[in-house]
Amino acid sequence: MKQAVRNYLVFLWRCGRLAFDGDWRYYTWMGVLSVFCLLGINAYAKQFAGGLGVTGMSDEVSWGVYIANFTFLVGVAAAAVMMVIPVYIYNNEELHDLVIFGELLAVAAILMCLAFVTVDLGRPDRFWHLIPGIGQFNFPASMLSWDVLVLNGYLLLNVHICGYLLYCRYRGQAPAKWFYIPFVFIAIVWAISIHTVTAFLYVGLGGRPFWNSAIVGPRFLASAFTAGPALIILAMQVVRRVTAYTPGDETERLHGTKGEGSQPPKSRAAALDDLELLVRHLAEMASVPKELRQTILAGAMVLDTKAGDVLLRQGATETETFFVLKGRVVVRREEGGRFRITRSLGPGEQFGEISALAGTPRTGTAIVEEPALILRLPAGSLRKLMTAPKMNKVIRSRMSERLLITDRALMTLRSIVQVSMLINVFLLVNEVFKEFYSGNLHVASAKYLYLGLHGHHALVPWIWTAIAFNLVAMVLLVLPVSRSLKWLNLTCVLCIVGIWIEKGMGLVIPGFIPTPLGQMVEYSPSLNEALVCFGIWAFGLLCYTIFLRMSVPILQGRLSKANEGQPELGVSGAGAR
Amino acid sequence: MPTPTSNPHASDRPTPDGLSRRSFLRSSAVVASGLAALAASLAPLRHLNDFPTVDQFLQKYYKELTPEEMKKVLARIEDEVEKQYGLRPHIRDLKPKSGVEFVYALNLTRCIGCRKCVHACVGENNQSRDPEVQYIRVVRLPHGSLDLEKAEHNYNPEQVPEKGYFYMPVQCQQCKNPPCVKVCPVHATWQEADGITVIDYNWCIGCRYCAAACPFWARHFNFSKPSIPKDRLNLDMAYLGNRPRRQGVMEKCHFCVQRTRVGRYPACVEVCPVGARKFGNILDPESEVSYILRTKRVFIQLKEELGTSPRFFYYFDV
Repeated sequence: MKQAVRNYLVFLWRCGRLAFDGDWRYYTWMGVLSVFCLLGINAYAKQFAGGLGVTGMSDEVSWGVYIANFTFLVGVAAAAVMMVIPVYIYNNEELHDLVIFGELLAVAAILMCLAFVTVDLGRPDRFWHLIPGIGQFNFPASMLSWDVLVLNGYLLLNVHICGYLLYCRYRGQAPAKWFYIPFVFIAIVWAISIHTVTAFLYVGLGGRPFWNSAIVGPRFLASAFTAGPALIILAMQVVRRVTAYTPGDETERLHGTKGEGSQPPKSRAAALDDLELLVRHLAEMASVPKELRQTILAGAMVLDTKAGDVLLRQGATETETFFVLKGRVVVRREEGGRFRITRSLGPGEQFGEISALAGTPRTGTAIVEEPALILRLPAGSLRKLMTAPKMNKVIRSRMSERLLITDRALMTLRSIVQVSMLINVFLLVNEVFKEFYSGNLHVASAKYLYLGLHGHHALVPWIWTAIAFNLVAMVLLVLPVSRSLKWLNLTCVLCIVGIWIEKGMGLVIPGFIPTPLGQMVEYSPSLNEALVCFGIWAFGLLCYTIFLRMSVPILQGRLSKANEGQPELGVSGAGAR
Repeated sequence: MPTPTSNPHASDRPTPDGLSRRSFLRSSAVVASGLAALAASLAPLRHLNDFPTVDQFLQKYYKELTPEEMKKVLARIEDEVEKQYGLRPHIRDLKPKSGVEFVYALNLTRCIGCRKCVHACVGENNQSRDPEVQYIRVVRLPHGSLDLEKAEHNYNPEQVPEKGYFYMPVQCQQCKNPPCVKVCPVHATWQEADGITVIDYNWCIGCRYCAAACPFWARHFNFSKPSIPKDRLNLDMAYLGNRPRRQGVMEKCHFCVQRTRVGRYPACVEVCPVGARKFGNILDPESEVSYILRTKRVFIQLKEELGTSPRFFYYFDV
């Protein structure tokens, strides 16, 4: 027990150290975010002292850009499930390594949501009135009390799932299914619920006809499943980019001075003793009976390698599998002239099994990092080995332990964004038709939003920008052009900005204009209010950057319990300093 | 004994936990400047004028206060008001009387739009003059229409009434089915037995969800610290009524609980120069409001279709 706590603290300590370690790009990015955070804190301090009067809000428009951002970000958080559903329900392997990034984004988004509702409170010192059991919790009557429950619950669920999976990966253990799979399924339902509840916050208000419409909930989900995965597409490309290095710096170290064309490593036929060596690092191997071990040895070789030796090459179509018996191997992947480490392997771990089992070309190049002893098995031997149930399980579970972020995964996300955007635009058309065709008195807010009313039209340029962005994004998504990453990035930016406007400013503000007594009072955020918003966004990005900074090396296998106590060299993929 | 710095190489030697002296100094400098920047960014908090005291912070919910605790709270609030305004108020915790359900009736034929009720209300209920908070909004409507889209809020003629218009004062409608109460996440607002929806100003967290929910724009928020001229303070106060509010909480018309629960009329009823405002107990068949609702052929509940069932009725003299 004591040891377990110690291990966990060491894990947290090492992760924490990483957050403060990086190259100049990392420091610059974090520095800029910190400055924005401080500006935001300063602006909030002013608001805390002077009251919400320092914002642009008024009795007439009593919610503003804080709640708008909150609404948008709940959607982003909910969209994390769009990564989870394909992986856990449809067993999509391509998205497997993105699940954790999606959930970490959800955690960052929920933290931002909580910050946005907190800065919107008139009396933040009374937050404890909201705590069930201590305060007075108006549950289930108030939708806001539902929101408190579902948001905090969703935060806990995601922190648990991500934290547990990352810690297991760090320790090199297979996660216990009962300890996270049930939570994954709860989180799927929960994600839908956080966004539905947030929609109901508006839908439930009979006195505000602009919100009191059954289509708001479905629209929220559609727009969330557009903007969320779009954000993940962008974030994943940033991760790919910053964890990659161009040939010339780190490759030199990996390849050594001899280059790749040097003589092949010394090899010999494998013997039973070599399998014994494997048992030491791979306990499941012990379950393999002696007769089976004997048959596996047919064609098996042991390679005695030195740093820089290349064991397999990306794109090659061989079918051997490798097990590390001693030493260390990294697998790197080339994308457009850049290299990125997808895995780092120590004794007992395998690589090359995907090509062996699926017959697909190698997804990366494996290079020896520290002098290593490698067991090489032909594809037939691997299949035989996997007839032992325990081996089958461990090999299969390790197949997903890599940080590929393939283009195919991004394209899967693209098709999610595509479908969601089509539904989103369709629902928008429904809403606009209902508002304007019937033309009853309740159309006032919609008129104000889309056309302007009684000479007031502050939101008109915004909403048409949003509609234009959404439509252009929709067309781009339907066309094959968005299969190119450059166009896909543009499309994602259009989706995110368009939906931010449509769902934030375009939903929250017009609900208040005109007032229930027919008065036209417009709203625009004050500078102080904008600074608070920028501060919270910077805080969220800061959190997400730190989460990625910690999780990427863990997923690559470069930060693990096995290398505890060793100097943290090369953990930062970009070759820190 | 030589200090470690006397050796030029010692400063780069890793300490047991892997930190060299130089990197330790650098980290300390970063942490120190970060803390300094944080402190600087928090500087506006020096102007904090409404920081809660421990007693205020820990004050219990209205419905959970025992009579003794309530006494203490009332005394404390009287002290607070006295400290701020230099005058000692008398604050009571007035409970609803049984057999009473208050109802308001407003004669739209008579109302001339003079806004005297607005001013009387501001004075009676210690509403903030800067920024302005008012419970009653009088709107001007063209003859023949109750469409609030056509309402003029800022009418300002030489003389009222104006030809071709009528006037409609709107305030809290004291709904039987109040959406504001339903949405409040902390039960800070509720409907009392005599039909008045009240707010515990010391429990409200200022989320303004009730303001979004109210179809009558009756709930008003203290976006900044309220200010009332010292000589205008109404010292006859009720806990759930007109005691001064603090920054960041909601307030609304409460049918002048400090008056009506001791048998007086609300300030707006008393001040109305044309007798357009009628107020009373609907459970008493002899009351004026009972008579009006029994005999008038047409009376209107504003936004009746929303089903909030207001206790505020508009009627005409015909």
